[in-house]
Amino acid sequence: MPLIEAVDIVKVYPNGVLANDNVQLSVEKGEIHALVGENGAGKSTLMKIIYGLEQPTSGEVRLRGKPVEITNPHIAIEHGIGMVHQNFMLVDSFTIAENIILGKETTRGLQVDRKQAIADTENLSKQYGLYVDPTRRVEVTPVGMRQRVEILKALYRGAEILILDEPTAVLTPRETDDLFKAVRNLVQEGKTVIFITHKLREVMEISDRVTVMRDAQYVGTVKTSETSEAELARMMVGREVFMVVDKPPSQPGEAVLKVDGLTYVNEAGRKTLNNATFTVHEGEILGVAGVEGNGQTELVEVLSGLIDATSGMATVDGKNLLNAGPRQVREANVAHIPEDRLTNGVAAQGSIADNLVVDRYYRKPFTSNGLLNLNALRQNGQQLINEYNILATDGDVPIEALSGGNMQKVIIAREFSSNPRLLIAAQPTRGVDIGAIEFIHQQLVNKRTDGLAILLVSADLQEVMKLSDRIMVMYGGEVVAMFENSPDLTEEKLGLYMLGAERQTAEEMEKNA
Amino acid sequence: MSKESPRRSSVLWLFGLAIAIIVTFLTSYEVFGGSLEAMQETPSWPAVLFVNALVGISVALFVVELKRDALRVLMTVGLALLLGYFVTVIFNMDAASRFSSGDFTVQLISDSEPVDNDNTDIEYGRQRGGEFNQPNAAEPLTEATYTFEGQAGDVVTIVALAANRRSEVDMQVALLDPDGTILAEADSISADIVEAETYEDVRRETDALIENFELLQDGIYTIQASPEDVPFSTTMSEALNQTNVAYEAFLLGPLSRVNRWGVWIQDALTLILLGVAFAIVFRAEQFSLGAEGQLYFGALVSGAIGLWLTDLPPIIVLPMAVGGSMVAGFLWGLLPGALKAYLGANELVSTLMLNTIAIKFYELTLTYQLKPDDAGYIASDYVADAAQMAPIVEGTQVTVAVFMVVIVVLAAWLLVRRTPLGYEIRIIGSNIRFADYGGINTKRTIMLAMAISGIVAGMAGAHLALGIHRRLITNISFALAFEGVVVALLARNNVLVSPFTGLLYAYLRAGAQFMERDANVSFEVVRIIQSVIILLITAEAIASFFRQRRIRRRGQVVEDESSPPPALAADASST
Repeated sequence: MPLIEAVDIVKVYPNGVLANDNVQLSVEKGEIHALVGENGAGKSTLMKIIYGLEQPTSGEVRLRGKPVEITNPHIAIEHGIGMVHQNFMLVDSFTIAENIILGKETTRGLQVDRKQAIADTENLSKQYGLYVDPTRRVEVTPVGMRQRVEILKALYRGAEILILDEPTAVLTPRETDDLFKAVRNLVQEGKTVIFITHKLREVMEISDRVTVMRDAQYVGTVKTSETSEAELARMMVGREVFMVVDKPPSQPGEAVLKVDGLTYVNEAGRKTLNNATFTVHEGEILGVAGVEGNGQTELVEVLSGLIDATSGMATVDGKNLLNAGPRQVREANVAHIPEDRLTNGVAAQGSIADNLVVDRYYRKPFTSNGLLNLNALRQNGQQLINEYNILATDGDVPIEALSGGNMQKVIIAREFSSNPRLLIAAQPTRGVDIGAIEFIHQQLVNKRTDGLAILLVSADLQEVMKLSDRIMVMYGGEVVAMFENSPDLTEEKLGLYMLGAERQTAEEMEKNA
Repeated sequence: MSKESPRRSSVLWLFGLAIAIIVTFLTSYEVFGGSLEAMQETPSWPAVLFVNALVGISVALFVVELKRDALRVLMTVGLALLLGYFVTVIFNMDAASRFSSGDFTVQLISDSEPVDNDNTDIEYGRQRGGEFNQPNAAEPLTEATYTFEGQAGDVVTIVALAANRRSEVDMQVALLDPDGTILAEADSISADIVEAETYEDVRRETDALIENFELLQDGIYTIQASPEDVPFSTTMSEALNQTNVAYEAFLLGPLSRVNRWGVWIQDALTLILLGVAFAIVFRAEQFSLGAEGQLYFGALVSGAIGLWLTDLPPIIVLPMAVGGSMVAGFLWGLLPGALKAYLGANELVSTLMLNTIAIKFYELTLTYQLKPDDAGYIASDYVADAAQMAPIVEGTQVTVAVFMVVIVVLAAWLLVRRTPLGYEIRIIGSNIRFADYGGINTKRTIMLAMAISGIVAGMAGAHLALGIHRRLITNISFALAFEGVVVALLARNNVLVSPFTGLLYAYLRAGAQFMERDANVSFEVVRIIQSVIILLITAEAIASFFRQRRIRRRGQVVEDESSPPPALAADASST
């Protein structure tokens, strides 16, 4: 008998959105069950129903074969269901032990028994092999540990079934490995884990069985040992997905972007970008690998004119890029896909057509005789919508009505259509679903083959390795390694440089410059 | 949210046209009392029709521009009016008190010979009276008792009545025998007797009559007269009646006569200009409240030009005066814009401070420079005839400013929707970081948006100085400036909708004046209604603010999928 089942779940939200349409889920005791699907496939809704955050419109949840009504998370916890959310729900100013016992405190008189809390945390931590430092305050705790705190918190409340919502999204490769170890430990201790993700590689690595959802519907459940990444991708997207981009060998031309000794000291006086020197040529993709927060953001912002460099120089075709502001950078034929789509990349209330011309609205044909040419704007919008497969009826649709993937396509369309010499692409596929990733990857490679110079910054190491012709590793604001991309270059090898364990000498870097 | 098909949009335009025609017709019908002769007797009736047509167009634009949102605006205003109605009812709850207070008279009538007794209050053929429940009295009279001496066999008639036409007191009367037992009671008079006018002064059935009562013993009898208790139903129905009268004055008052219509339109012109001024800065997401100061400087400069240039023709003086107000408003808007852009000064604080400076400077100049020495109060002379905006409707202050407002609205629309600067303003208003990223010079644009808004606010000052007051007076804005915020917010910062919301708000203000004048409802009640409107608008703004936030948060969740905040990542890498 399955431990927990969701049977014929239908969920219609009050605004009429059908989020779950006859969805099935059946999880056996002691298994790691992956739930996969693209963004908006209905995974989260299903989990919210199981955790009591939402009520199904019809259908039922069964625990050990018996129907249960889970009307709120407290009841879910009573039934032994725990959930670790994507956004951690911890009190930053409390210590880890305090967070874990919060709401179920042992008290001594009127006071919380802190010693007891610390002891409980340590025991739990040992039992499940989830290392945490009980006395550390959460605000100074790294992400990986915060996640373990969330898991321990659920276990402390007696969770038998743990729902992990996209747990690896915030982790570095090494932290992910640690998490997987811990999850296997949990299962050995008799717990059951439901693992939500859209990264297929992880599914293959950790899960026993996989349930796939697509467009609010249940597609199927398969044993991991009897399936492949390609098959899962097909189930998720509903068609054949080419996981491999079609990438002819690179033929680099003359140098386009030349960066020399670029340094940025932030307001706190920290050198977040330190003496970076590199070159990007015509027809090549230079990938930047590194754990986030090691100077990539600053590098991109300095090069795109959003912040002023402290020293050094950067030129595109000999034209200075530094400290001139974004307009001048764009006038030098530089395009920029920003890392934070909603903050920098779009005006959410603006129309698609308006968003597509922010770098060129003042030029002909969009402005003539001092007035905007609405026809030109509309035509430009329609043309790019068609060319880049943006799912929208026309250019008057506001950006906020689009999905993340389509928003990203609007940005890509704008940046590619400006005919740049250099493209700075920061996290071009972050939070975008598989179908759109495939499209964006192919576009990047095609443009590079056509002679565009691309500086690719991505937190997804696989993406960097798949697309780049050369790879540059950043650590602590410095460029610590430069590689020619080849099949011999492994994630593990890059990882050593990313974590600062190794660095190349100047001569080694020179070799691949 | 997607764009409607061409067919649907043409249906919408047709619908708008129909509304424009209907509104033009209805407003004109009301103003002219529904008669064609009355219309033709009104001087400058074509101008009234013309302005009404503009009103119709404003309503149509409102519907076409806002579509479904238009309903929400109307519901907001409707809800506020409804709440105001209830408030007015509460204020009118004492309307029924006129039935329990007022002057009264008690008459004692008999054919028998009166007995002379100095110790009694009244004798046959005489009457006594007083006032019940006199307002503000320390011990208001609630019951009157009068004694008289009667003899067995006397036949008496007692009339208790409201003493005069002003008094509507509802009387009841009782006759008590010498032992104090009640012999007879009455609280009304039959309609026949009132009709027949049998008794002098009896006008209402609410008076009381004890007729031809035969006394059976000798002794001192007592008459008790008092107002009847007012039943709650009467209290309520009176309160509702009063409120209905007041609301009729409120809702139809501005259309009842041409001069009242003029009050509405002249206020609306000021409010529309201010609404447009605020809409422009709000579009750029700048919470600048500088319109009041810009208005004062605009009024001062245009007024001063109007006072000095006395011997030039209107065609030169008026444009110069208005132009001067525009320059003044521009500069007084540019200042907080520059402070914001280059020094990071919060525009809300700086504009409020600059408002105070502008107002005080205006008063200083007015008092010590412009006021004639012999004037007993603080006001300048009237500006030269050439500088006055000529009325287009006789007997009102509806002047050529109408054309100025039409031009301003169209120009503002062109600016926001059709120019590169307008594009920059809209993008900054939607997401300033995106504007920066896209290469827009956000500092320059913010400064210009505030300065252009200042131009329009300055023109509102010129309208007040040259069109309405035709001289400079203290407190010339009459607190209108901040009402412009409501006009802009109601219009969703859409300059094409501002004419409608300006007219609507001015209509409520004018209606309030006439309600106060005609129906004796205090202006405070009207202020309450206005406050409720502002509250509801704010509530709506909060609702849409949270909707925005949800959208951002949703975006955030997507973002979180592959990245920790950089600070944490750095921390993670060092652990």
